[in-house]
This record gives sequence, structure tokens and C-alpha cells, in this order.
Amino acid sequence: MTLESELREEQVSHLGLSGFSKASSGAAVRDVLAQLRAERHNVCLITDANDKLVGIFTDRDVLRRVVNAPETLDAPIDDVMTKAPVTIRPDLSAAAALRAMDENHFRNLPAVDEHGAILGDMTHQSIINFLASRYPVEILNRPPDPERFPRKQEGG
Amino acid sequence: MSTATTEIQLTRKDFVSDQTVRWCPGCGDYAILAQMQKVMPELGIPKEKIVFVSGIGCSSRFPYYMDTYGVHSIHGRAPTLATGLAVSNPELCIWVITGDGDGLSIGGNHLIHAIRRNVNLNIILFNNRIYGLTKGQYSPTSRQGKVTKSSPMGSIEQPLNPIALALAAEATFVARSIDAHTQHLEETLRRAAEHPGTSFVEIYQNCVIFNPNEWDGLSDRSVRDDNILYLEHGMPMVFGKDRNKGIRLNGFTPEVVELGNGIEEGDLLIHDATSTQLAFILSSMEYPQFPAPMGVIRDVRKPDYVSQLMGQVQTAQAQRGVGDLNKLYRAADLWTVNEREDVAAKVAGELSLDMDEEYVDNLDKADMDATTQVQDQLIESSIADLNPHVPITIDVQSSLERATRQLNLHNIGCLLVTDARDQLVGIFTERDVLMKVAGLVDDLSDAKVADYMTPSPVTIKPDQPIAQALHLMSVHGFRHLPLVDEQGHPTGIISSRDVVAYLNQAVN
Repeated sequence: MTLESELREEQVSHLGLSGFSKASSGAAVRDVLAQLRAERHNVCLITDANDKLVGIFTDRDVLRRVVNAPETLDAPIDDVMTKAPVTIRPDLSAAAALRAMDENHFRNLPAVDEHGAILGDMTHQSIINFLASRYPVEILNRPPDPERFPRKQEGG
Repeated sequence: MSTATTEIQLTRKDFVSDQTVRWCPGCGDYAILAQMQKVMPELGIPKEKIVFVSGIGCSSRFPYYMDTYGVHSIHGRAPTLATGLAVSNPELCIWVITGDGDGLSIGGNHLIHAIRRNVNLNIILFNNRIYGLTKGQYSPTSRQGKVTKSSPMGSIEQPLNPIALALAAEATFVARSIDAHTQHLEETLRRAAEHPGTSFVEIYQNCVIFNPNEWDGLSDRSVRDDNILYLEHGMPMVFGKDRNKGIRLNGFTPEVVELGNGIEEGDLLIHDATSTQLAFILSSMEYPQFPAPMGVIRDVRKPDYVSQLMGQVQTAQAQRGVGDLNKLYRAADLWTVNEREDVAAKVAGELSLDMDEEYVDNLDKADMDATTQVQDQLIESSIADLNPHVPITIDVQSSLERATRQLNLHNIGCLLVTDARDQLVGIFTERDVLMKVAGLVDDLSDAKVADYMTPSPVTIKPDQPIAQALHLMSVHGFRHLPLVDEQGHPTGIISSRDVVAYLNQAVN
């Protein structure tokens, strides 16, 4: 079984999706930055008054649109976010989701169910975490530094 | 007239072996050996029906000195061996000789399980509260604060209470005696021999070399009667040289009282060897806070293990006939591993060096679990197979303005920061921009990347397996891993996207 065939059998919702922050449309960029830092997330999903997803704001947006333009700090987040982001259904196969990410060069794919509830953010890290728990012997249970050897024999 | 021709007339001498007794001069073991040899002929059991089983230790030399059958067995396993012996030959009179090391350290488990099964054994535990054979280290019964070779500042361990341990294992016979009090010891050994089921006897025994003063107040003839409570079933607990003291119960707690002044024998505890509760109270009474209880603490009758086991065997045989072990063994789940034919052929011909390889190849061809393709990739593909990107580097002295411009210019998320000798000293990512820079640093041209980068990043080498990259990314959450050569110069960079893409496409 290849990774692709394994991911075909996994639903996005089973992957262990990445965490995200959530802010309301109209929030000041400065406040969203503070929230991301406090919650230690790279991604903020922006919702409207009905709690529907209207935008996504990531560290890449910070780099491209905010850091060299201090005047944006007090603007509404809507000015610098990516509007109407592509989303996926949580029951989509992980393989299809990954294909969508690669074809469009997305790094984040919010998973939204049929009622509009946001369940999580699919990233490449989600796949890596899936692999780590799928193959713990090969991935997790490794010496953290494989090139370190004890200088002295243990014991007696 | 003498019709009792089968009457066995043995004497003490019949139980003395021809071996030289090798204990230290003055050892309490001699006294115990002498009393045992004295009791034996009085039991009326022929010598060939008597077995002494021991483990390892000074006391465990005991079987050599008894002219009976004997087994000097495995450390701590004397009760186990004896249990097997009792089951295989229920007619035997079996004595287990052990010590506080053999029976309570290494053999603690074997001891309690033999006791709780109520196998017909007489277990005699010589307690000298020290490791004697190994020359004086503290044992599981050594008192707290005891200075020994292995506890130079005093033992910090809570000692085991052998009597309480035996009671907790539901021993049917529990008694205590002391080597120096020969009459008491003799009587206690006899009572133990007479009891059907497991008899457990703790003997306070003096190690004259390594723990000579342990039992001073109890062995010294002049004071011992003031310090020992001799137990007799149905009798009030009176003690003292002048029999003027006694044990009274105050709530759940025993207390020492002087007789007279309104306290009479009728106020004292009456010993009842069938009472579990009283046995535990007695086990908790430690000299010198209390007189040491000696004698039979508990004596109750329960079905013994071997007769019950044999009863079940007989019932099964009556219902289903005598079993055939060989038949049972060959009845199911038995198969023969044949020598591989082609291997034999090759050995007969020329010596084949590729035998192992061929075997592995055959394995590979077989219906191998398909998931191993991913596992193989994880281990067998190296970081180099990912074709790592050429890294974009930036000098550590650069400004934040330059760093963010470089990130945007190359449309990348990660810069490798190097010093004047082109050594990797840090990593600066878009996450750093979010967490430390945006909205926090007013003048990017005035700030140095050195102050905002992540210094000394975790790196990876081209020849390491992909699994190592996944390990670092999953455990630490890294999105990027820099590659460096032996000199520490950056040679490449991989991202989590690269790893996933490689694994996803490698086979297709």
C-alpha cells in the first residue's frame, strides 16, 4: 500500500487537523496578530456575523502584506486576508485533499462541514502527524540524534 | 512379645551426617541444627521419607548436615522446589530451610505462594537480619538505621515483618522461636512438624560475626524471660521472670501492664491460636516496645494443597480414564519444520554464498503486507532523494528589512542565516515574522536578523533516512529542516511539503 492509497482510505476529518485561531470580520490586523501570537497559531480563519468562513489570514500574508506596511496594522483584517478561501468537506478523502493542495499550491485547506461549521485546518503537517502515528516504530521511536554515541560503556 | 517389629527406633545420631559443619564458631545455626537432629527421631518418620530443601545462604547449608535426603537448590526457590516434591510424593516429610535473604529478598514471592497454597511443608526461616554469607550487608529484615557494609549511614528501608507476611499469605501455622532457647525451639519445631499444611517458623538466629548483638535482650538467659512473651493457646498472656506482667488490650492496641494493684490475670488477653485478628496484633508487637511473642501464634486447619489436587486428579481419572501425556502432547498444534529441499541440494553441491540473499528475495516476492512500501520508503529513501532546495542564505549582520525582502523576493518561508565563515548559525522564517516582528518592530532597517532568528536550528544530513525528517517534523512541529555539510555550511533545505510530496509520488 502506498501513501497515496492509504490517504485515499482516510477521511480528512481523521487526520488530526492543525489548530487555528478564529477572528471576526472587521477585527483590526493588530488585534489578530496579537491573538495569533497568544494562541501560537500560524493561521487565523475569519468569520462573518453568522459564523461563516469568509477569509483566511496566515503568516505568509503577514510577510507579504503587513510587515513592510505598518499602516495596515490598524486596518480591518479583511484588507489583508485571502477572501473566500477554498474549503473541503471533512469526509473528503485525504488523498483528494492533498491533491487539491498541491495543484493549487495551498498550504492550508480549512475543513468545513455541510452546516458551515469549521472543523480544522488541513496542512502538510496533518499528513506528517498521520504518518507518525501510523508508523510509530519508524518515525516516533527514533533516537532524537542518531549520530550521537555514548563515549563510555554504560555500567560497570 | 515384641510384635511391633515395624516400630522405628531412631536416635539423634542417625540424623547426623558425615559432613564437616562449616559455619562460623558461635553461629546460631549450630543450635538450630542440634535441635532439629534432636526432634527428628521423635517424629517416628523413617529417614528415607524426610527431605531438607534449601536455597542459598549460610542457613542453606543445612541439608548437608542432616543425614536425610536433601536438596541445596536455587537461590530463593526452595519453597517452589519443595512444592513440586510434595505434589510428586505426598508421603514425604519436607522441610524448607531458608533465611531472611534467601526467603524474603530473592525468594519473597516463592515463599508467600507456597504459604498461601498450604502445601504440606515445614518452612523454617532463620532470621539474623543481615546477609551473612556475603559478609554483612543489610537484609530485608534489618532495622531502620542499621549500619552495615551496604548501609554505612544506616539503613533507610522499612524492614519486613516475616510473621505478618506469613499471616497475610493466610498461613495455617505461624510460630516464632529463638536459637538460644533450646527447649522452646525444640517444642516449636515439633509443633511445626505435627501440623498438616504449611508450617511457617521464624527463628531469631544470631550471626555472631556480622550482627552479633541483634537479639541481645532475647537471647541473654538472665533477662530473656522479662522480654519474651511465651504464648500458650487458651492461657492468659503473662510474662516476666516473676510472671508479674501481662498484655492487655486497650481498644485495638495491646499494652503492657503490671499485675497487682487491681489488675488480675482475668483482665489480660487470652491467647487464641485460631484467631486471625489476634495473630495480627501479636505480629505487630515488636521487641523492645513489647515483649517478643514466641511460640505458636496461629494454628488452624485447612485442606492442604496436595490432597485437594490429587482429589481433583482422581475425580478426573474416574470420569475420563487415565490420561496419556504423550497422546495429549501430540493431539493438536504440533507440526514438523522440514529442512528446505533446495537448501539441502545446494549444500550437497557447492557451498552457496547467496543463500541468505535468495531467501530474502523469496520473502520479497511473497504476498508481503503492502503497507511496507511506505515503511520501506521511510527507512530506505534518504534526505538526498528529496532533491533538497538550494538554500537562500542571509548574513547574520543583515537587517530585518533585508531579511523580509529576501523572503518575499524568493517567495519562500525560510532563510538560513550564516556567519562570516558561511556557517549556519540560525534560521529565520515567516513564523518568526508573525511571532516577533510584525507590529512589534517599528524600524526594520534598524533591527538585525540576528536578534529575531531561531539560533542553532536542528539540522539534518543528506544520508539520513526520510523517517528522520518526519520524526523531527512530527515531534517538534518543524516546517523546515536545513541541511549542513561536515563543516557546518548550509547545503540545502527541505520542507514538510517536500517530504509529503515525495512520499505521495515516489511509487506512482
